[in-house]
Amino acid sequence: MIRLGSAATIGLMALSRIAQLVAVILVIATFNFVLVQAAPGDPAQVMAGQSGASDPKLLEDLRREYGLDKPYAVQLASYLGRVVRLDLGYSYRQRRPVVDLILERLPATLLLTVTAFCLALLIGTTLGALAGLAAGSVLDTVFTVLSLVLYATPVFWLGLMLVLVFSVTLGWLPPFGYETINVKLAPLEHALDIAKHMIMPVTSLAAIYLAIYARLMRSSIIEVAQQDFIKTARAKGLSGPSIVVGHMLRNALVPVVTVAGMQAGALVGGAVVIETVFAWPGLGRLTFDALLQRDYPVLLGIFLILSIVVIVLNLLTDLIYRLIDPRMTTGAA
Amino acid sequence: MSDTVQAKAPVLSVEGLSIALPEGGDRPFAVENVSFEVKPNEVVCLVGESGSGKSMIAHAVLSLLPKSVNIAAGAVTVAGQNPAKLDRQALRRLRGGEAAMIFQEPLSSLNPLKRVGRQIEEMILTHQKPMPSAIEVHERVQQLLTQVGLPNPKLLEKSYPFELSGGQRQRVMIAMAMANRPALLIADEPTTALDVTTQRQILRLIDDLRRDRGMGVLLITHDFGVVADVADRVVVLRHGKVVEQGTVEEVLRNPKAEYTRELIDAVPKARLDEIRRTAVHPTPLLEVIGLEKTFRVKRGLLQPPREVVAADGISLTLHEGETLAVVGESGSGKSTLGRMIMRLTEPDGGAIRFNGQDLRRLRGEALRQARKQLQIVFQDPFASLDPRQKVGDAIARGPMAFGTSRTEAMELARKLLVRVGLNAVAADRYPHEFSGGQRQRICIARALALKPRVLIADEAVSALDVSVQAQVLALLAELRQEMKLAMIFITHDLRIAAEIADRVIVLQKGRIVEEGATADVFTAPQAAYTRDLLDAIPGRDFFDQPGFASVTGALPTARMSS
Repeated sequence: MIRLGSAATIGLMALSRIAQLVAVILVIATFNFVLVQAAPGDPAQVMAGQSGASDPKLLEDLRREYGLDKPYAVQLASYLGRVVRLDLGYSYRQRRPVVDLILERLPATLLLTVTAFCLALLIGTTLGALAGLAAGSVLDTVFTVLSLVLYATPVFWLGLMLVLVFSVTLGWLPPFGYETINVKLAPLEHALDIAKHMIMPVTSLAAIYLAIYARLMRSSIIEVAQQDFIKTARAKGLSGPSIVVGHMLRNALVPVVTVAGMQAGALVGGAVVIETVFAWPGLGRLTFDALLQRDYPVLLGIFLILSIVVIVLNLLTDLIYRLIDPRMTTGAA
Repeated sequence: MSDTVQAKAPVLSVEGLSIALPEGGDRPFAVENVSFEVKPNEVVCLVGESGSGKSMIAHAVLSLLPKSVNIAAGAVTVAGQNPAKLDRQALRRLRGGEAAMIFQEPLSSLNPLKRVGRQIEEMILTHQKPMPSAIEVHERVQQLLTQVGLPNPKLLEKSYPFELSGGQRQRVMIAMAMANRPALLIADEPTTALDVTTQRQILRLIDDLRRDRGMGVLLITHDFGVVADVADRVVVLRHGKVVEQGTVEEVLRNPKAEYTRELIDAVPKARLDEIRRTAVHPTPLLEVIGLEKTFRVKRGLLQPPREVVAADGISLTLHEGETLAVVGESGSGKSTLGRMIMRLTEPDGGAIRFNGQDLRRLRGEALRQARKQLQIVFQDPFASLDPRQKVGDAIARGPMAFGTSRTEAMELARKLLVRVGLNAVAADRYPHEFSGGQRQRICIARALALKPRVLIADEAVSALDVSVQAQVLALLAELRQEMKLAMIFITHDLRIAAEIADRVIVLQKGRIVEEGATADVFTAPQAAYTRDLLDAIPGRDFFDQPGFASVTGALPTARMSS
């Protein structure tokens, strides 16, 4: 069989995926819009309620002002038209464009989730690999119990307990926030300050994923260790470490990459809870606040951005998958 | 064997070896008090059925035994060293250095995610001191790939195992094993997963390399045909004990042990004189006319799909009580043919007439009724039974689906179990409690429960040990007689086809290249492809296959190529 250069094949695949991406985004935008409309209450009611008077006249005016009196179809069409132009609308509550709001919060969320994801993947697979290689040993038992405990611990509870221990009791770490406010710091000190603030939220967020990857990697390593080609490698006279590095790791990573790719999206969802617990100024908090305030444009914007993030992550997983496993490149197994 | 060989010290000697199994197994020792030697430039075959402990011995030679088993007594000496007593470093030098090993399944024995060239390089880099330069290593890899007869080594070294054929993969394994010029090659069923013609090529290659380098070969096999072709000496194992050993002439010509005789007898042989001419009804029961099927395998985005022709105008007829063998190598389309007749795979074109009806036109209830009369038994008796369904249920489900009451169906299931040589109480047990041969009997009982008129056996005995294979074949022959069954026997093993079939069809790439009465096809093959296949039957000289009988009275040549 003649193989196309794998780089060329992967490039072509990426192009076709991007075309799919645009179509999927429009479908998701429509779906989000319908979903939010289906929820009871509209922003005019909330605003009117908060200003103290549920005057029908005020309600009417507010609705007309924000275009909420038009038919759903018209609202949807104008929304999609704007999405295509990358205009996500205007937050009536915050009186700012949605794009600005999201872009302002996105870096903090990405910092939190990407760090948590990388750490979970790195530490999880390492611990899992060690446990798998030493299957049945004391080390393996300890790791397995530990990962089970982490897996079963609710994310918010872990966050609260960390705060209780490390901030309230020991006073080692700042209990919440992104940085120490009202203090001028040199760039390096500023970075360290942010890092210090990140420790607990990242730990809480990463814990459950770390446990999942560790368990997955453990069973994957155990399975690969029983494969015939590992016996071949031993019969070749390779040393233990070179068998692990040269033959086991890459094969064992295939299922982990699959699951990690699927879960990377869920990680962003998990950030909503953690950001609320730690008052982290990211998209999660923005979502939470927008939800309480029925701030439709912001919610729609966030959903859309999160969907795009998830789709892009899936695309990346596919690409990485193909780099790890050459059997995927030609589509022939 | 020359005198110089005799004089040399053995490359492998196994003395009084006993390997203990973990407690609670069906026997305390996997291998008990086994002794034999392999001298340089000599091929010793270790023969036995599954569970005889032959692979255990091979693994003990390189100290590759699983952790749960250990050597209880005796010693292995490879090139003057005892692997069990070596430190890690020395053991690693032995593995792949003085002694190399190849395995049964070349696909799973190669790392799927590493280019084959790199896997061979690794073998060189691990053992050659001082470390050769990158250019030297590369040259050596090219040289090895050429030596094992692989075309276009430049392209090949960049390939991944999944891109190669079974034979090519096994050649890569051999190239890897040869990389450091080992004194001993251990080959654990190296050709069992391969087609006959590929098997012959691989055995020849091993034999050529043996002669070139004067290395000792320990070849593990279950096939006496292979033994007859390549062995200098034979060690016959049963339940972990040596029942007989000696030169190939001694053991094959004058077996001393009863068990050896049984094994040799069990090798399927053409019994052409015994094949009766079935009284042929004027109208065939099953008629296949111009069947076409092409599989399209999707590839990359811009590449056209790869087309595999599985059937290219196949026509055949089958009469009541007749057995038709369909033979061919893997990929010839023989299994697809069976599946198309069952309508498990939809053909692209052609017609299938069964009992006067056009099977391809049937839908719904009519198809269901027709299918009842066409039953199939698959190759893998482990995968073809639901592990969570009792054997009785598995057999009774069919008749129950056609309206038989549960009590009656279970009664029938018990009767059938007795008929296929099992016990009626087997009905209440689960498939995992049975051996491979017993499971295949269960599968046959399941197929017969619907009182079919045509039984398709798709490699139904290929996964079984020879002695079990012989029993299952005998059972099928009896049933055919008794129930006037028409059988389509799909097999890659021509010896089996010759033993059981009235007529034979030879398939190559979806086309019938030869068709005729078994005796004619085997004694006077017309197509070159059929001749190739017959030529490749292991042990054909020894077992005196028709059409290839050696000059009367001449001793069979033990070596295929010397």
